[in-house]
Amino acid sequence: MPEVSKMKKPDVKVVLLGDMNVGKTSLLHRYTERKFRDTISTVGGAFFLKQWGPYNISIWDTAGREQFHGLGSMYCRGAAAVILTYDVTNWQSLAELEERFLSLTDTANHDCIYAVVGNKADLIDPKAQMFQDSGGEPEDRTELEKDRTEPQVLSSCPTPPASPASPSGMILHKPVTHEDAVALYGRILRYKGLEEKSSLPAEKMCFETSAKTGYNVDTLFETLFDLVLPSILRKRNENQASPTVDLEECRGKRARTSCC
Amino acid sequence: MSVKAFELVPAVERDLLMGDKARINIECIECCGKHLYVGTNDCFIHHFLMDEVTSSKGKLSYSAQKLLHKYLGLKKAVAELRAASALERLIVLCDGIVFLVDMVTLETVPSAAGGGAKIRGVTAFCINENPVNGDPFCVEIGVLSSKRRTVQIYMVYEDRVQLVKELTTPEQPCAVSVDGYFLCLALTTQYMILNYNTGASQDLFPYNSEERTPIVKRIGREEFLLAAPGGLGMFANAEGVSQRAPVNWSENVIGATVCFPYVVALDESFITIHSMLDQQLKQTLSFRDGHILQDFEGKVILASTKAVYVLVPLPLERQIQDLLASHRVEEALTLTEGAQRNIPKDKFQILHKRILQQAGFIQFGQLQFQDAKEHFRKGQLDVRELISLYPLLLPASSSFTRCHPPLHEFADLNHLAQGDQDKVLRCKKFLISYLGEARSTEVANGCREDVDTALLKLYAELDHESLLDLLASENACVLQDSVPWLEKYHKYFALGLLYHYNGQDSAALQLWIQVVDGSLQDSTRSDLYEYIVDFLCSCSSPDLVWKYAGWVLQKDPTKGIHIFTKRPVSKDHPELRPEDVIACLEKHSQALLLYLEHLVLEKKIEKEKLHTQLAVLYLERVVSLLSKSPPDEELLTRARDRLQALLRESNLYRAQYLLGKMEKYEQLLLERATLHGKLEEHDKALHILVHKLRDFSSAEAFCLWASSSRDSEYKQHLFHLLLGVYLDRNPSGKSQATVKSGSVDLEMAAVDLLNRHGEVFDAVRVLRMLPDDWSMQLLRPFLGRALRASMHASRTSRITLGLAHSENLQLLHDRLKERKKPIFVSAKKGCHLCHNTFSEPDVVCLPGGVPVHSHCVAQRVRDSPTKRQLTNSSNHT
Repeated sequence: MPEVSKMKKPDVKVVLLGDMNVGKTSLLHRYTERKFRDTISTVGGAFFLKQWGPYNISIWDTAGREQFHGLGSMYCRGAAAVILTYDVTNWQSLAELEERFLSLTDTANHDCIYAVVGNKADLIDPKAQMFQDSGGEPEDRTELEKDRTEPQVLSSCPTPPASPASPSGMILHKPVTHEDAVALYGRILRYKGLEEKSSLPAEKMCFETSAKTGYNVDTLFETLFDLVLPSILRKRNENQASPTVDLEECRGKRARTSCC
Repeated sequence: MSVKAFELVPAVERDLLMGDKARINIECIECCGKHLYVGTNDCFIHHFLMDEVTSSKGKLSYSAQKLLHKYLGLKKAVAELRAASALERLIVLCDGIVFLVDMVTLETVPSAAGGGAKIRGVTAFCINENPVNGDPFCVEIGVLSSKRRTVQIYMVYEDRVQLVKELTTPEQPCAVSVDGYFLCLALTTQYMILNYNTGASQDLFPYNSEERTPIVKRIGREEFLLAAPGGLGMFANAEGVSQRAPVNWSENVIGATVCFPYVVALDESFITIHSMLDQQLKQTLSFRDGHILQDFEGKVILASTKAVYVLVPLPLERQIQDLLASHRVEEALTLTEGAQRNIPKDKFQILHKRILQQAGFIQFGQLQFQDAKEHFRKGQLDVRELISLYPLLLPASSSFTRCHPPLHEFADLNHLAQGDQDKVLRCKKFLISYLGEARSTEVANGCREDVDTALLKLYAELDHESLLDLLASENACVLQDSVPWLEKYHKYFALGLLYHYNGQDSAALQLWIQVVDGSLQDSTRSDLYEYIVDFLCSCSSPDLVWKYAGWVLQKDPTKGIHIFTKRPVSKDHPELRPEDVIACLEKHSQALLLYLEHLVLEKKIEKEKLHTQLAVLYLERVVSLLSKSPPDEELLTRARDRLQALLRESNLYRAQYLLGKMEKYEQLLLERATLHGKLEEHDKALHILVHKLRDFSSAEAFCLWASSSRDSEYKQHLFHLLLGVYLDRNPSGKSQATVKSGSVDLEMAAVDLLNRHGEVFDAVRVLRMLPDDWSMQLLRPFLGRALRASMHASRTSRITLGLAHSENLQLLHDRLKERKKPIFVSAKKGCHLCHNTFSEPDVVCLPGGVPVHSHCVAQRVRDSPTKRQLTNSSNHT
């Protein structure tokens, strides 16, 4: 996975935020490796550099654990897109997004775009369950099924969080409906002081995905990448307009004048 | 899994520093080149000279020599020591006071006049290693004061210090690091970045400095390494953005630094080494009583309370090789690529290539061909390294020897596969695809022979369809090496192609002929015979064609003759002389016939000999068919049609000769008639047709054919001849009876002929010839037509006459018009000769259009014989 591209400077940043155990790392892994595998709890954060056309997009996978909460705003600084991730089987994880994670995005770019993503859709949506990811190898899949028994147990009887209980003091595990997510998206816009009309519509920015089957995962990332392109271009233009003198460019110009 | 990236080497042992004094502890260290300074808790500074010694085995050790030690006289621990080598000063923090000490003598520098050399109330300070101020003779330091919530920037000169900036912070700072204008501060509850030039600040993240000692370590331009909650090592740049993923330390890290590409951290009992490239823990070294971890100009030095150690990085190459040895390809590559900026470019490229190649072979060994191929390609692997893994694939003539040290651990493919035939097969298939791609790139430059030969062998062995493509196109297969291989796998057709490619067409043909004849087995081509024919057809060497013509013709004359008839005409293909070919075909009559047909009918070669020979062959065929009983009518008809067509179309054959040959055969009357016609013996021909064959329509057709390219008179002659034959009542050699019965038919034929072709005949002559007893009714069509023709001819000629006449007049008129000037003759004008006037219109013109009396001219001509000529000419005008 580590490639030479890692050395390149990213043009734009996308950040995955969300409570622990919602599947942020799995989502990223499914997108980058086209596989679903057991991940261990992310420590601190990790990032992946994605070549998107001529651009490098860094995708930051953050740690959901309370312990690392303070680092979130640093990861979000200068982000062009934030993926707010929840677990569709866990209503509390959606609530956490609003209570804990939304404020971290204060440091993101003013034109940052937000996606609300419900992962583990395969557990409630047959469509997501039946989805076949072209990249997934069959032998992996059989393993997946075995692996998956554990998360299924988790969804019915989730592991207690490493941090002390959530702020509300009670943990809700009822499934999240799409309407809940859309409503949250509306509240995010309100929080950001954005007009609903002038912002990206909720239907476009609320996703339900399954890192296990790959359902909607590519759609999610690629939609976001396409949406952040203007942000990249703007950033490049800013760099071009910088007062730094480009020696190469100067040389070219001088050569031209001298020959006249 | 771990890597050995560093080695801990003792630098200053306990007894050298404090002997047996148990209470004395190391508080701080500074290293500047070979000079090591150690500050202790009893207010001493020790100065050592530290020499690097490399043993014969390449093992590095340090020998320290104590130069000096100095008591600073403050009875407190020396908290920090920093060298300012340009100033030859040590900046010392002791008892809350920063002051300067001479680097050599360790004497405290007295304050200069007008400025103090001390800063009081200091809790911590740091040197700006990337100062914005360009003055080389001063050092910029950031100072944390015990005064509440401030941070100060001082300039330190040789003998004085100067406050340049003081900023307040929102909380009490407890650790600082500075780069350019940027101060990175650990406050009580968080880290922040503070620009001391603009005063702008940027919060980083919260951190409880009371629970854990904060770490603020500058690791590069505007980038800092910070201890974060949860035992993380976080990276942050001056903009407050983290550009690298964090590393996961233990909770109690005392010190940390970066020795690219590793993050080294020290806690109470271990040194942990993480890679910045993949954030993984790479090495853990046990280190008791760890106290200090710092880097000085890239050298990482650690101290316990009693002794000093150097953390020596192992050569990168060795680290990489260790990784490769444990098949950690990705890590090895990451490490190599990460080290790019620390290694000279050319050296890096060599190293990088080699690592890529090694990585490729490891993946190859694991049958991860896609990755292996990619690494081979990036590493520009000499393809022969890969080929040499496969036994016997490299040609014996190859000069290749494997790279040393070896790129992989495999002796050969069998060693790699451990007898698993499926593995071997997969490896071979991979090599096929790899070589196939490599062929077309510059990778194969310089070893095309090896590549192509190996590919040929693989194709042959695996029965791959590309074998023929390889041999049919440009290739560098080594013949000597390939022959036994192709023979082994019965690829005779392919071997023939290879022979051909190497200019040994004869060998190729011999081989193929053996295959066709069944003495060798190769089912590659079911149409190998046709292939050989085509091959000979386009073969540029006539010798080969002659040599194998016999075999080819014997096998199948009809197809075989193509080697002569379908031979392309070009410079590379010397034309074969027809005479030679015919001589060669002597024994193969069917082929000869086909060849002559080709020459005569297709190429239209006009040679008497060929035409005659073809006619004779046709004749022979007809004769042979005739001699069979019962003759195959269909074949016979066809054969005769051919013969007749030739006899009719061609004018070159020797008709007399053929006629002689035909004499015996009564059945061939039609042919004989044609020959007579060719010989202009029309009466004989017609006689045969009319009397022997009694085929009147043929007789008529004969007349039309024989006169087809002649004028109408000839045609008329022929038709009259035919008519004559019809009307001849007493042909020689016939009995009266047959004449009687035949004459009616003949008369009817004559009538038909006349009625059908009336316009051809000379009607007068015909009428004279016709028997008197024929009725008009019988000849009505003829007579009508003859009359019409005669009338038509008469009228046509009259019209022609009239037209000619008018044309003549027209021309006369035109001629007069051309003479422009009219000549005026009037009664008033006089003759130039006699000067009398004209009395009648008849005049003669002299040259110049002068009219004179005709009698005057006559007179004058008579008088002057010399002018006779002139008058004559004028008379004509």
